[in-house]
Amino acid sequence: MLVGGCDVGSATGKAVVMKDGEIISYVIIPSTTKPEVTARTVMDEAIEKAGLSSIDDLDYIVGTGYGRLKVPFANENISEITCHARGAHWLSPTVRTVVDIGGQDCKVMSIDEKGKVLEFVMNDRCAAGTGRFFEAMARVLDCGLEGLSSLSLQGKNPSTITSQCSVFAESEVVTLINEGMELVDIVAGLHNSIAGRLNSMVRKVGLVEDLALTGGCAKNDGLAKALEEKLGVAVKKLPQDPQIAGAIGAALIAEEKLNGQS
Amino acid sequence: METRIQSKAFQELSQAAETLVNPAIQDWKGQGSKVVGYFCSAMPEEVITAAGLLPFRMRATGSTGTDLSDTYFSSINCSFPRHCFNIALQGGFDFLDGVVCMNSCDNVRRIYDNWKRQLPTTLVHIMSLPRKTGEPQVEWFRDEVANLKQLLEKHFDIEITDERLWYAIKLHNETRRLQRKLYDLRKADNPPITGTEALAVTVAGTAMPKERYNQLLRELLNELSESPGNADYRARLLLMGGILDDPAYVKVIESQGGLVVTDSLCFGSRMLWNDIDEGASDPIAALAQYYVADRPSCPRMFGDYERRIGLVRDMIRDFKVDGVILERLAFCDHWGFEQFTIENDLKDDNVPCLIMDREYIMSGVGQLRTRVQAFLETMGR
Amino acid sequence: MVDKGLERTIAERDHFEFLLKFLEESPYETSHLLIPLVKANLDHYKDTVRYIEEGKPIIASYFSNAPEIFTAMDIHWYCPVSAAFAGAGANPYLMNDLEGADKLAVSSDICTLLRMAMYYTEAGLLPRPTAIVGMIIPCDGIVALHEASRRSKEWRGIPMFAPDPPYFTDERSIDYFAQELRRMVDFLTEHTGQKLDIGRLREVVEVTNEQYQLWQEINELRRAVPCPFNWGVGGGPFALTQNRWVGDPRGLEWFKAALADSEKLVKAGKGWLENERIRLLWFDVHPTWFFDLAPWLEEEWKAIIVMDMFSYCPYTLVDTSSEETMFHDLAKRNLMDTTMIRQAVGVADNFASDLVRIVKDYKIDCVVWPAHMGHKDGAASVGIMREICRDLGVPFLSIGIDTFDPRYTTPDEVKNTMSQFFTAMGLG
Repeated sequence: MLVGGCDVGSATGKAVVMKDGEIISYVIIPSTTKPEVTARTVMDEAIEKAGLSSIDDLDYIVGTGYGRLKVPFANENISEITCHARGAHWLSPTVRTVVDIGGQDCKVMSIDEKGKVLEFVMNDRCAAGTGRFFEAMARVLDCGLEGLSSLSLQGKNPSTITSQCSVFAESEVVTLINEGMELVDIVAGLHNSIAGRLNSMVRKVGLVEDLALTGGCAKNDGLAKALEEKLGVAVKKLPQDPQIAGAIGAALIAEEKLNGQS
Repeated sequence: METRIQSKAFQELSQAAETLVNPAIQDWKGQGSKVVGYFCSAMPEEVITAAGLLPFRMRATGSTGTDLSDTYFSSINCSFPRHCFNIALQGGFDFLDGVVCMNSCDNVRRIYDNWKRQLPTTLVHIMSLPRKTGEPQVEWFRDEVANLKQLLEKHFDIEITDERLWYAIKLHNETRRLQRKLYDLRKADNPPITGTEALAVTVAGTAMPKERYNQLLRELLNELSESPGNADYRARLLLMGGILDDPAYVKVIESQGGLVVTDSLCFGSRMLWNDIDEGASDPIAALAQYYVADRPSCPRMFGDYERRIGLVRDMIRDFKVDGVILERLAFCDHWGFEQFTIENDLKDDNVPCLIMDREYIMSGVGQLRTRVQAFLETMGR
Repeated sequence: MVDKGLERTIAERDHFEFLLKFLEESPYETSHLLIPLVKANLDHYKDTVRYIEEGKPIIASYFSNAPEIFTAMDIHWYCPVSAAFAGAGANPYLMNDLEGADKLAVSSDICTLLRMAMYYTEAGLLPRPTAIVGMIIPCDGIVALHEASRRSKEWRGIPMFAPDPPYFTDERSIDYFAQELRRMVDFLTEHTGQKLDIGRLREVVEVTNEQYQLWQEINELRRAVPCPFNWGVGGGPFALTQNRWVGDPRGLEWFKAALADSEKLVKAGKGWLENERIRLLWFDVHPTWFFDLAPWLEEEWKAIIVMDMFSYCPYTLVDTSSEETMFHDLAKRNLMDTTMIRQAVGVADNFASDLVRIVKDYKIDCVVWPAHMGHKDGAASVGIMREICRDLGVPFLSIGIDTFDPRYTTPDEVKNTMSQFFTAMGLG
């Protein structure tokens, strides 16, 4: 059985092709301004990478993400909340709390032993704690996203960033630079501040181990470390690129639909 | 609004909900009759009807901003009074011949003070609604209603007799009776009306003469009784929370496949479950009894939580509700704590609950859809 | 002990014991005024611990519920929200409490004080009272807090009453509220077994009348230029008359000492500040982080808080000739003349007339509306305040703070804003 999951996010598009419950290909591309174009492009690339000839080879496709309504070839769409939860759980079955940090929103889900969502909390009103925020910071500090992560890990005395709003946090950072604060400490401080926001969200849903990060920002080790310190638990690393968790979940649900399981 | 309901009656009701000054109000004013606006579902609007005036429940339908009211309100105030006052400053409420405010909450009560200072409306009054539902409170409010009656008599140079009051009470009771019939139809497995449509119907009732409204309701009920209804939905939902007068919000919720079969809203069911006692000897006392004690309360009432959660539980049972959506206008203290408390009790009852914040003028449709869709998926629907 | 919710109370008691010792050994100028306040707080916490440990009835109540009646009925009460500021002794667990409040699934746009109180309830940090006499004024939040106290299974069954406040302040309203106070007495008797003796009430009220009289005199002296009063003891009058030494002659001693201090300065033509340049009205209560702001205002700008919301409660003395007059006047006082309630309840004219009065009487140079995030009615009154100040020709500043949480707008940010304001308005 061949199925596809297509996660059209604001920053990146992801597609996963699964055969009989195994991932046979996945692709991540930057999003275009048109979700249907992003969807088509990323899915076509995944099909090619899987060694298939066309999208019709897939028996069922589920779309998810911010642009899920604009995936023309999807048989149905499912919310990214459900998909990220399923995907994270499949990747690591002991996971019970999922923190997804996407391009323009972040969410926390508490899940059961089957990967089903019990409760969720979203922050989609502002950029704080999202990919946008980290991009903006990387720009201000002129260091790139990987740079942010490694700088943060070097910070011994993280600064305190009090601004709740990412726009104001930017100017706070500039002020700190001008005051001669160590760059590594500023970046560590930023990560702490974001980790604090995420911590609040996790508390609202209730922390149950294991906890895993998904989404593009999950690859930021500095953030993972800051979060571990705030939460007092270790972050479970996922065996695959955490950014494709949503697309994996979508593909898994596609398989279930085929089997008449849901 | 797109709908399966055919009748012209529904079209007229729907239009009244989607606009501020609908044709019925225009006609009314055209005949030289007067309109008194009021805030809050605890307002004894029967007194206004008895005075031969049209009671109009204040809304800010169609408001595009708060640029003018931002001078008087702050960004940490609820968006409902901000939009209402903005429309007032733009002249959108110039058709009113009077406005009666209520001390419902900290955000809304200042409409009275700001309106008095900034606008030329000749009758601007505020009523003191008690915060408890006991006998002494009913007695206090009885005097408030009597004062209101005298104020209207004096200002509009009319007499409000007991006869007129009973007429109004019976008329408004008839409205509630017909609305309850509408809600009864929603208990079925195949309700003939969606939550979106039902909200449009109840909102419309606050914006036209009740005689006309009752007539339209009867026509609508006739049509609905013939309808095969709709059983094609993922889940049966109860929607509750603060001021919601915009059917478009419910539409977004229902677009994900859930059906709102009942509610606890002040523009919805909290207006219709109970009647004013027509057997009482004093109509003013009867009004006070209903508005303070008998009708369902909102969280602004102290010491009444058990009754509120009781009503919700009854509705969950009677309407076979699968999940509850609890919305709150940002900055509302009352509904904020109520969400916190009810969610806990519903969890004990094993009833799934979705908590959401919103602004009075709908925004963030994408986010709303995502949350509702995820909620339905979480329920396994 | 932890089961009885005493953990925090005991910690607070110990904190005040430490503070008392510190002050007794310190040469700090106004120690002689601070020490009695600390003693009063200490006694209160000791009593609370004792009552709970001995299983005696104890009520959760508020300063707005005619505390004279509680004293007269010999009922011990504590205030559920006061742990947030530890009875104005500055809460040493503030950061911990704020984080506790943040973790609750309660919307963060609700007043922080109430979220903290919710945290105390949910975390079992408050002693479980025999009954609750709640609060309905001055704000929505406090009503909502009481409704939400039903959430905790521990607190669900506790009998609860609150006097219902009418929106107006005329005779009809006062009479209604007086009846509510009578019902409060019945409620208290029902749940504590204590009865109200009118003779005892008269004794208590006669003492508080004297306290208030002295308070008014102190307030009068604050009009002097330069101003003799120090913000550090600003919360004292409120704390003593309505919370700690209600109807207690020890309170009289304190007021006399505070008055004497002010009189001495005024007679010598001196003020609390050497060269006072800005006379400021802080139109709210003192934030928990005031110790970070007020001294800076004095040093940096020679700005003195001439008047504030904690202090401005002018009212007529209670007529003690009969039971009726006492209930009537206590009702009037509770409805209209109590701290914070006075400035928030009812129609805007209530605070508006105060604002005009204070600016004129106290020769105010600028009005600061701190704009605490929980003050929704105040936030909706900004336009009115601004217009009044414009008419009076006095500069007006609205900041946007959290009275309880210094992280919301930090003291540094507030200092920045105020500096820019003073400079722009040519003050100081």
